[in-house]
Amino acid sequence: MLKTYFKITLRNLWRNKLYSFINIAGLAMGIAAFILILQYVSFEKSVNGFHENIATTYRLLNEDPKGQTWPQVEPGWAQKAKDRFPEIQAYCRFEEGVGQGIVRRNAENAEPFRETNVGYAEGNFFEFFSFNVLEGSAAAFKKPNVVFLSTATAKKYFGKAEPVGQSLTLYNQFGKANYTVSGVYDIPVNSDIRYDMVFSLETLSNPANLNDNDWAQLDNLSSQYIHTYFRINETADYKKLEQKLTTLRNELKKDKDGLVFRLQPFANVHLPASFSDTYQTSGNLKYVYILSIIAILILAIAWFNYINLSTANALKRANEVGVRKVVGASRGSLVLQFLGESMLVNLISFGLALLIVRLLQPLFNTIIEKELTFTSLLSTPAWVAGLVLLIIGSLLSGAYTAYSLSGFNPVETLKGKLVKTTKAVVLRKSLVVFQFSISIGLLLATAFIYRQLNYMQNKNLGVNTDQLLVIRGPQVDKDSTYKMRRTAFINAIAQQSFVKDYSLSGSVPGNGYNFATSGFSQPGSRKGDELKSFSFALIDDRYLNTYQIGLAAGRTFTQAETMVDWNDNDKVLMNEKAIEELGFKSPEEALNTKVQWDERKLQVIGVVKNYHHIGLQKAIDPIIFYPQSNSAYFTVRLQTDRIQDNVAQLETMFKSYFRNNPFEYFFANDNFNKQYISEQQYSKLFTTASVWAIIIACLGLFGLATYTVEARTKEIGVRKVLGANVLTIARLLSKDFLQLVFIAFVIAVPVVWYAMYRWLENFAYKVQLSWWVFAAAGIVAIGIALLTISFQAIKAAIANPVKSLRTQ
Amino acid sequence: MIKITNLEKYYRTEEVETVALNKLSFEIKEGEFVAIMGPSGCGKSTLLNIVGLLDDADGGSFMFNGIEVAGFNERKRADLRKHNIGFVFQSFNLIDELTVFENVELPLIYTGVKAADRKTRVEEVLDKMQIMHRRNHYPQQLSGGQQQRVAVARAVVNKPKLILADEPTGNLDSSNGNEVMQLLTDLNEQGTTIIMVTHSEHDAKYSHRIIRMLDGQTVTENILV
Ligand SMILES: Nc1ncnc2c1ncn2[C@@H]1O[C@H](COP(=O)(O)OP(=O)(O)O)[C@@H](O)[C@H]1O
Ligand SMILES: [Mg+2]
Repeated sequence: MLKTYFKITLRNLWRNKLYSFINIAGLAMGIAAFILILQYVSFEKSVNGFHENIATTYRLLNEDPKGQTWPQVEPGWAQKAKDRFPEIQAYCRFEEGVGQGIVRRNAENAEPFRETNVGYAEGNFFEFFSFNVLEGSAAAFKKPNVVFLSTATAKKYFGKAEPVGQSLTLYNQFGKANYTVSGVYDIPVNSDIRYDMVFSLETLSNPANLNDNDWAQLDNLSSQYIHTYFRINETADYKKLEQKLTTLRNELKKDKDGLVFRLQPFANVHLPASFSDTYQTSGNLKYVYILSIIAILILAIAWFNYINLSTANALKRANEVGVRKVVGASRGSLVLQFLGESMLVNLISFGLALLIVRLLQPLFNTIIEKELTFTSLLSTPAWVAGLVLLIIGSLLSGAYTAYSLSGFNPVETLKGKLVKTTKAVVLRKSLVVFQFSISIGLLLATAFIYRQLNYMQNKNLGVNTDQLLVIRGPQVDKDSTYKMRRTAFINAIAQQSFVKDYSLSGSVPGNGYNFATSGFSQPGSRKGDELKSFSFALIDDRYLNTYQIGLAAGRTFTQAETMVDWNDNDKVLMNEKAIEELGFKSPEEALNTKVQWDERKLQVIGVVKNYHHIGLQKAIDPIIFYPQSNSAYFTVRLQTDRIQDNVAQLETMFKSYFRNNPFEYFFANDNFNKQYISEQQYSKLFTTASVWAIIIACLGLFGLATYTVEARTKEIGVRKVLGANVLTIARLLSKDFLQLVFIAFVIAVPVVWYAMYRWLENFAYKVQLSWWVFAAAGIVAIGIALLTISFQAIKAAIANPVKSLRTQ
Repeated sequence: MIKITNLEKYYRTEEVETVALNKLSFEIKEGEFVAIMGPSGCGKSTLLNIVGLLDDADGGSFMFNGIEVAGFNERKRADLRKHNIGFVFQSFNLIDELTVFENVELPLIYTGVKAADRKTRVEEVLDKMQIMHRRNHYPQQLSGGQQQRVAVARAVVNKPKLILADEPTGNLDSSNGNEVMQLLTDLNEQGTTIIMVTHSEHDAKYSHRIIRMLDGQTVTENILV
């Protein structure tokens, strides 16, 4: 019996090739999208899961009264808390960013590298966290002046040579220091903590190694720069500990800042529901949710194709059902038969989907910006849930089909007059409407995300970042000759014919500010104004010129003014937003009034026109420009388009003045656009998802159109004999479907409008939800649907009516 | 074998109610060959479907082998049907996706006959219907006459006591039609009861008795034998 079912199913699939193709292709595409997305979700869920003690590990966070949180806390708390609270078994501290600098192997002619992904970490780092120490022992990290390297970094510095026992020099804000390589470790892809190299934090416990950076003292309770993780007793209530920690904070902290301590389970660090995330690799819970929903919707579209096409195909299957019933088939056996058929179709589709997944993996990985493989899928039990969903879905779609097909009354089907039950027709129409609502919704979302991205990338920023090359300033060998070498380098730059402008600054657009601080007032200020925060950018006399930023009033710095010592300077520039924040009515008023900054008096010598120093997600900040010939960045405006040659030339010059420093550069516009990576990712994702959904939905529409045309062949023939022309007939056949697509559009519009309205709230500068975009997307969707249907409609309309009448 | 009294059947659509069978009564004995005749739309097919347990009546009594089956639900009817009744239709109603052999085998599958037995039995009837050489063909590769022979083979493979034929020669030319009529006659001679709906006086002559219907009622009965 099973064998005949199987046989008849395969023969059925083979006979109705078009129908089978549409069904299987649609399902395979749906399942493939689902598997790919499940991979991603699985991976995200698996992050950090390899740490053995993840369940009892918590991250300490600061939270301000506004509910903002950040993981950089003062380094002194860890030991104080452990001494006070017995439920804390251990702690581990590490910092990110503070230790950045240049690292060079201690060997003749060794190449220096800038290392940004490095930091100082507690001696127990390799015991507290479950990283694999491949060479050396975890305990060796407890000593000062010890460095552990990731396998890739070890290779970068030492090639095939044995790294353990070798030494490196680190140049950073703590001066120049020697470190012995005592270990090599491996970091799994699903780890949030991803150091290229870690220096022992113990080094900084020696005041001599701090290079006068007293803020970094490991027992201090005033500088927030270190990440702190606690391991607590299994039975301890971390919420209670959280409160006790805040009490401790209030007790020991002299200047009350209103902050409280929060403990975040390590398990939630990667996909935080509310706490702000901090890691480069940190996932985005929202993104994971959106992806999961898209996966399920696409899968639903594919299953609806199956239901629609199978029930439409019922016209053909009805006779078979009738005959089987006449010769003795019970309804149950028919249900089983059709269910088996649907299972087989789903199974074939599943096999095909695996193939598609293989083919599309690289493309998907670029969209998602992850290195996922099929095994990522198996890293958490999420795949079980996925499989269950797949099975339930195929069972349900199969069950519906089986139920409706097996219900045919043989007396009627054998008469060849299958009564179209209105229930089935309504369902089919609803499913088509659903499929197109989703497709059109995704299409609309894509349009708006793309427009917003485009807007941000093309809006006039008030600063010209084209052809601006930015070179990172040197950090190694900042000795007594450094100032002289820097001047010589600048002079050499100035003499190049391809250099149009150049500048030295501490911050450049797209890379944030030097720092932000408060405590500003002017005679006209109201009480509380001194709490307002202002961002600082350190610039030289050529910055505004080089970046082509306008002045609203006054003048910029002179070269002499940029040479004045930090504490002796009393001249600043402010942007329009800053003087507005300070309560000045006009730029002129600002120029004529002294501004108080704590104990110091500042003269505003110029007002800078507002420009976007950071991405358009954020409103323009109040900025104070402070004169400095700081060498964090050299910016050069290139005049020619022989950029390769110019860069090579600049590198030679740079190397001749700053021998042991790496030459690192970027283009200001690329750097600025990096701030839109998340939006770019959304844009790519939605484009792909909408194309995918539309293809699957159109496959289904094409199938339905084919059936409708088949079922109406005779009617079309009669109409043609009576004189209807091709256009009337094509219109007759297309009308019903276009109506459905139009209804889908009407449903999609308000949903997308609301979703996009919410999304655009993330941006200070945004596009309008213009009606014409909706209209255009609607026209595109209806156009695509029309194209899909018209193929069959026109084919039927131009067919010879004599033929179609004869076949009936 | 069959005793029908005051059988009623209505078809209701939104506006109209059609009386397909109007208090119809007759009786058929085991081993009879009965032809049912009458103008189009008089209720012949409706009657055959009810007798064949494909459909149920709206009133009256239907005794099948001494059992009242008028109130049977679908499952019970299907059960009784698959062991006792074979059908032959005007439009053959073979399953296009199955071969000749598989089409004939189908009733045996649903009555749970073992595969080995099925093979001998199917081959036996195919032989008898002289269609054995086409056993691996699909219905569409056969002529109308051959298709109807396959349909008859399928109807008899389960050795039913009753065969119902609804215009079995309606789609056939006269020589093919005669062949089918001969088959039915042979079956009847071997003891199978046959009820046949037909428009053809010629075909009706093969039967023992003709029941003539008009507007859902029997009007006359001609006994031929
Ligand atoms: N499914 C149905 N719905 C409504 N009316 C029907 C249906 N089937 C048959 N009829 C009506 O019942 C009457 C008898 O039909 P039928 O038994 O097919 O006649 P015959 O086979 O004698 O030509 C006719 O008037 C026909 O129109
Ligand atoms: Mg009839």
